[in-house]
Amino acid sequence: MPTSQPLPPKEKNLFNRILKCYEQKQYRNGLKFAKQILSNPKFSEHGETLAMKGLTLNCTGKKEEAYELVKRGLKNDLKSHVCWHVYGLLQRSDKKYDEAIKCYRNALRWDKDNLHILRDLSMLQVHMRDLEGYRETRYKLLQLKPGQRASWIGYAISNHLLKDYTVAFKVLEEFGKTQQSQDAPYELGELLLYQNNVLREAENYQEALNHLEENKSKIVDKQFWLETKADLLLSLGKETEAEKIITDLLYRNPENHRYYQQLEAVLKPENEEERLQVYESVARVFPKADSPQLLPLTFTTGEKFKQLVDKLMRHQLKRGVPPLYTSLKPLYKDPAKVKVIEGLMEGYIENLEKSSKFAESDTTDEPPTTLLWARFYMAQHFDALKQHEKALNIIEQSLEHTPTLIELHAMKAKILKHLGDTAGAMASMDEAQSLDTADRFINCKCASYMIRNGMISEAEETASKFTRENVSVEEYLREMQCMWYEIECATSYAKSGQYGNALKKCHEVDRHFTEIIEDQFDFHQYCMRKMTLRAYVKMLKLEDSLRSHSFYFQAARIAIQVYLHLHDEPYKAGGGVTNDQDATMSSAELKKLRNKQRRQERKKAAAEEKRKQEQEKSGKRSRQQQQKNQKNEDEADAKKDVEFDPEKLASVADPLEQATKFLVPLQLHCSKRFDTHLFAFQIAERRGKLLVMLRSLLRCDELADAGDRAELHVCKVRFAKKVRDANGVASAVSDVISQFMPKLFGDVEIENFNLKFLEESKKSLLHLFAGCRSMHHLDNGRKEQATDMLLRYDDGPDNIPTLQTCEAILDSLKQKEFGELAEATMLQIREKFRAWHPRACVFAAAPEPVEEEPVLNGIDEHSNETQESGDSAVKTSKPHRKSEVSDQKNNNNNHSAETSALIENHCSHGD
Amino acid sequence: MNIRNSEPADLMNMQHCNMLCLPENYLMKYYFYHGLSWPQLSYVAEDSKGNIVGYVLAKMEEDPDEATHGHITSLAVKRTHRRLGLARKLMDHASRAMVECFKAKYVSLHVRVSNRAALRLYADTLKFEQSEVEAKYYADGEDAFAMKRDLTKLLSELPTPRKLYIPFREKNNSVTKPTEVDNEDTAPTGVIFDEKDFADKAIAQSGVDVFAEDNLAKTLESTTLS
Repeated sequence: MPTSQPLPPKEKNLFNRILKCYEQKQYRNGLKFAKQILSNPKFSEHGETLAMKGLTLNCTGKKEEAYELVKRGLKNDLKSHVCWHVYGLLQRSDKKYDEAIKCYRNALRWDKDNLHILRDLSMLQVHMRDLEGYRETRYKLLQLKPGQRASWIGYAISNHLLKDYTVAFKVLEEFGKTQQSQDAPYELGELLLYQNNVLREAENYQEALNHLEENKSKIVDKQFWLETKADLLLSLGKETEAEKIITDLLYRNPENHRYYQQLEAVLKPENEEERLQVYESVARVFPKADSPQLLPLTFTTGEKFKQLVDKLMRHQLKRGVPPLYTSLKPLYKDPAKVKVIEGLMEGYIENLEKSSKFAESDTTDEPPTTLLWARFYMAQHFDALKQHEKALNIIEQSLEHTPTLIELHAMKAKILKHLGDTAGAMASMDEAQSLDTADRFINCKCASYMIRNGMISEAEETASKFTRENVSVEEYLREMQCMWYEIECATSYAKSGQYGNALKKCHEVDRHFTEIIEDQFDFHQYCMRKMTLRAYVKMLKLEDSLRSHSFYFQAARIAIQVYLHLHDEPYKAGGGVTNDQDATMSSAELKKLRNKQRRQERKKAAAEEKRKQEQEKSGKRSRQQQQKNQKNEDEADAKKDVEFDPEKLASVADPLEQATKFLVPLQLHCSKRFDTHLFAFQIAERRGKLLVMLRSLLRCDELADAGDRAELHVCKVRFAKKVRDANGVASAVSDVISQFMPKLFGDVEIENFNLKFLEESKKSLLHLFAGCRSMHHLDNGRKEQATDMLLRYDDGPDNIPTLQTCEAILDSLKQKEFGELAEATMLQIREKFRAWHPRACVFAAAPEPVEEEPVLNGIDEHSNETQESGDSAVKTSKPHRKSEVSDQKNNNNNHSAETSALIENHCSHGD
Repeated sequence: MNIRNSEPADLMNMQHCNMLCLPENYLMKYYFYHGLSWPQLSYVAEDSKGNIVGYVLAKMEEDPDEATHGHITSLAVKRTHRRLGLARKLMDHASRAMVECFKAKYVSLHVRVSNRAALRLYADTLKFEQSEVEAKYYADGEDAFAMKRDLTKLLSELPTPRKLYIPFREKNNSVTKPTEVDNEDTAPTGVIFDEKDFADKAIAQSGVDVFAEDNLAKTLESTTLS
């Protein structure tokens, strides 16, 4: 067959050993054998050997050399399917999937029925969601290898994914006939449930029900069998039968809320009382289950509600269940219920204080903890009602009695956070953390509060109690795909103007998503073998919209905002912030920022130094390990991620292009969110794309809630002005725009449109500020007037703006929304905000009271040290990385599948 | 809290919960490995907003030399959601699925010798027995207790489902549709529990203790009061 350069037996044998070494990841040996062939002048340009040498080198991290060799090999032997296959594998490992597909196709030109290449191709096709191509390739595989189960399964899946349910079902049906239950009962059961899935997706409910019944004894996943049957019976309106199934499910799990909804759908209670009976029927059987007691609180009212909630609260307070508030939180949407709860709880507390009883008429005394938990509840209650000072009072009172209860400290921290006292909140959380240093949850909370207080290096120190030694916290958490931490850091960096660092964190989050999407590659083959096809198809759907996850949204939001800022005020190399940015800070602020940055750098350097020393210390021991795991090490080298460079990220030439990259997934997956279209508008505005602005504006208009209306108004005004100022707009464009102008503005001039908005916004600072911004945008000579309006805002007791609003306004003024402002004006505004939020650190008189006074509440660097030394046991606790082991296993499997392809195939040629 | 079988879409949130609660962390791929190998075994507890507040990540051990058994890779409940009995409920579901789907004889797990709270939970509440000490099991050199819970009697100890007693329906039935019960008796079979249970109006008492909440020692009294 095709190769134009056949090797004599000795070399042929060596070549096969290269393949084997590649499969077993013995890359060094593989290279040795390659050298033996290539050092013979007769074969120094042997294409397939060169290609394999390249592929092997690629696994040791030498990508460039690998490409060079593989390409050279291919040039020498263009008709070799091995060379093309290798080139495809190389591109695949480099994530150039489209290119890899082309290579595989070329390889198939020279060996059209090569199973291994076909299989590799099909995996890439499904990975890239080239579903038509996937089906075609799977069909070919089925024709070639009808005896293999993967051939049938793959073809069925491809049809299912293309919604060709009839074919998918028939293929599975034919295949199922050959399967015996006793061989692999789990796999057969999964196959049948997958087949049933196909019927249900095709909405053949009756057929699906019959199928489910017929195969009942063969399906081992009883729970899913029952759930599916319940769904089908309900879809078919067979309620009497459905009840039995749902009852069975509730006996399995009385905490599954969905079952209750289904039970209600079957029993059709007609009023509150009957509805309650449905839940009581389960509670009678499972008196200790939470759900049948909690769920009725959402629909009962009046006396009944009071009676139920009273019973539940007393019971849980007596037992000391700290999450009582968490359980009742969904009820806080209803002010009437909140009032009932408050009344009851106040009664308890009064009586408990007086006589250790819930009510005077009670006969039994409560233990003192009952009062403690009642007060704990009340603090959460008032915090939720935004009566933070009252909540704080209760917590402090409780802490006097019980100074070592972590929950109280954590709650105090939360209340202080809501009051804007980030430093105090951090101190309280640190106190909580110090009371149980073995609890990672409280440790994470503490780290996050530190980050929010702008103290990232302290947060790292805290978090390091739970990360591996001799790897920096940042590196460990990145390696472990710990996104909450990265997002918190990005937020904090963006706030303090360290745009490069902020972007670095955002890109790290983005890369995790890419990694997770890449990860699915190994499962295409794996799941066919395991037969877990239901989960597999769900996974495929999940991966298609993975970036709809809120972690991605948060990271994208920060990145887009930072890039927009970098577009408006390009980064100037040198400092962490631009000079313009510096100018808006007072000199004191600036000095502190600089000090902080210097301190962070020093700390980082010290940590790095320590790490190096430790590595050297443990060098000897690990060297043995190294040799043992040589092949793994090679792998790791190849996989090591390139670090993002903050400096480079901040100085990109095309920030809008970069912002768009983060925006696209949001448009795809989060099109129901106002912010998505706001960002689209803001990017389009800077690019001068009028129609894109219009389209985004119209979507914003549809989606805006009351709070969004402020930002929407600003966008509208900016758009109108842009249109008015625009010259030489194509008539087609201006036609479209003028069509929509009345919808957006009515018939009013923009100036009047804004005046009207200002008039309506007297009771909301958020909206008033939007009006002021618009006014200033229309005429930037009206800066004084704009700030005046802000300062004259009428702060009746009902109109106090939130902390977030005030913070956002201050930030925006610092970013020169109204251009340069006199220091006195800034001070006035700050003072005004401080009057509303006296505890908030951001408005404090001495700006940014971070770091300089952390001694307040007893944490400074010194006390941190003593804490740590006391907790060496905790500090050394490091995670056990089971994941590596299993990943390795996984990799091996896939790897061997792919290379045994090469080998088997090649051997058969030799013969 | 709502407790249910986990789906691929839960895996990222389980990882987040794990990162917050436990020192042993895994890459996302390892979560997918669980979710795609043994989809029945992992469970989540979620709050009213759908946030994962607790999870159990479990697998089957496929060593042919040992009896078929499941293994708890990771179990966590957020500190803010303790004392709701979530850990026990999650574990019970995972264990049952191990038996039903994979015929597991027992379930095993590892716990740090220093983790007294977890030890108490496993030993007292979940009836695990300590089988051996695995020296230096954790990366930091700490030993682990290997623990096991026998599952051979699990299914036989489960409650038998009976028809739920719903007063408003009983009234309707007796007054307007006296034949309803007969209809039910002749309804198509294929239901897992016995038809005759439907004639029995008595309230089932079995199974009450199956879902009993954990009885974690109430340490608060002694530790929090000054």
